[in-house]
Amino acid sequence: MQLYLPIAEIPVNIFVIFGMGGAVGFLSGLFGIGGGFLLTPLLIFSGIPPAVSVATVTTQVVASSSSAVVTYWRRKAIDLKLATILLIGGVLGSLIGVILFQVLQSVGQLDLVISLSYVTFLGAIGGLMLFESVRAIRRRRSGATPKARKPGQHNWIHGLPLKVRFRRSKLYVSVIPVIGLGAIIGFLGTILGIGGGFMMVPALIYLLRVPTNIVIGTSLFQILFTMAAATIFHSMGTKTVDIVLAMTLMIGGVIGAQFGARMGQNLRGDQLRLLLALLVLGVGLRFAVDLLITPDDLYSIAIRKGAGA
Amino acid sequence: MRWGAFLLLVLTAATGAARAQDAEEDLVTSLSSNTVSIQSNFTGTEIVIFGQAAPVNHQPDTPGGYELAIVVEGPPQDITTRRKGRFLGLWVNRDAERFQNVPSFYAVASTGNISELGSSRLLDELGIGLNHINLAVSGSSNVALSDRDDFRRAFVRLRREMGLYSEQPTDIRFLTDTMFRTNIPLPANIPVGDYEVKSFLFHDSELISRTEQTLQVAKIGFEQLSFELAQNYSLVYGIIAVALAIFTGWLAGVIFRKD
Repeated sequence: MQLYLPIAEIPVNIFVIFGMGGAVGFLSGLFGIGGGFLLTPLLIFSGIPPAVSVATVTTQVVASSSSAVVTYWRRKAIDLKLATILLIGGVLGSLIGVILFQVLQSVGQLDLVISLSYVTFLGAIGGLMLFESVRAIRRRRSGATPKARKPGQHNWIHGLPLKVRFRRSKLYVSVIPVIGLGAIIGFLGTILGIGGGFMMVPALIYLLRVPTNIVIGTSLFQILFTMAAATIFHSMGTKTVDIVLAMTLMIGGVIGAQFGARMGQNLRGDQLRLLLALLVLGVGLRFAVDLLITPDDLYSIAIRKGAGA
Repeated sequence: MRWGAFLLLVLTAATGAARAQDAEEDLVTSLSSNTVSIQSNFTGTEIVIFGQAAPVNHQPDTPGGYELAIVVEGPPQDITTRRKGRFLGLWVNRDAERFQNVPSFYAVASTGNISELGSSRLLDELGIGLNHINLAVSGSSNVALSDRDDFRRAFVRLRREMGLYSEQPTDIRFLTDTMFRTNIPLPANIPVGDYEVKSFLFHDSELISRTEQTLQVAKIGFEQLSFELAQNYSLVYGIIAVALAIFTGWLAGVIFRKD
């Protein structure tokens, strides 16, 4: 069944879009990720304009993270103070992201920056995850027990000024790295159409040393509100949020996530991380190939003014 | 003001009557519909243009009869055409050419080969045929003169591939000696706005009559509502999008609650 998208101004097969939302939702439930980094490329590769794909996925991420936030809220596994300070950074980063997005769009280099960023970030993070999960699997096979985290371990981040106490996370750190981290994730999320959980969670654990039971809820809470801000900034700035596309993706996504979450319970953590690492690397590679091989068509056009601009 | 308009009307009527004798009413055209509505199930459509061309006095020494061309033109756009080149081993957009005030949609149907309708200059002037539409470039172009034709050709080719530019020679069919009709397909990705439908009657490579009608392409219902909201009340639109997303997520959390 064909459905006309009011903002993208093209008809799409609603079942294909619904299926994509469902498939990515399944993977996000399986791995406990937002899935924006999979959904945005899928939409771009299937012919939705990149600007519409990025902006619309920010809305979809709001839906997928809000259902999880409710669960973590009930379990009281969110550090509200930490999340709020991350969020201040996130909104700032998102605002800068939308402005840069429009500048890049007008000079015709938006697609290039999206591709390059995907290659860089997915390549780096996929590589790290692959390395880490292979090591974990080896260690499990050889029967060695992983080293426990030493309490009171410090790094350079803990030497920065403007320290604040986060009771829930049992932390006493400077707000500078917290705002900075929020801003970087908000900025990337807005430009790339990703929630950024797969970058936020490791950063909170390894850089700020937030306890693992608090990390996911806090990260989701901050992603929810940063992406809500990104949706509003995109609506006002680039005007490329397609509400019909977003709704279709959301419904497919939340249903798929339920099945994914159930299946994820039957798989080992390190195996899951290995699969996720391969997935992340695969998407990054796909973007790299497009940048390196000679394109079929050297020319492209973009409407700048008038009907449909 | 009203007197001015009245005077203008009288004048137009008078000149129209005078010219009707020789040209103006040689050609009468009508559209199957004056509006095209885009709804959620829109996957493209077509409009039918039919009309009547009064018999032209054939000169004994002219072999052919008359020829027709019908042009459907969408609202103007500014469009940037970019060309990729290698930069540090990567394929990136390098050169760009901006075409100004070009039609967002362009379809031409004719009774015969477009180049045989009239002189190249006349076709340029009237904008009949893809080789004759006016593709003005912006002054600040950084493209070498020798490459400009490549950009024009690429532009027209890409628009053709999208179904937004088309040329259909011999697509106007005569039902009787004077009655004709043609179908112009409108693809699903047509931009909204006011379209012009221009019909031209040629005889002996001369334009002898023309008509012009407007066709409105507009989103209606939900499609129009969400588009208008997104354009004019973007903050409200953004808030609605966020509210819908949070509601969907919350609802899913309630429905699939495990604990």
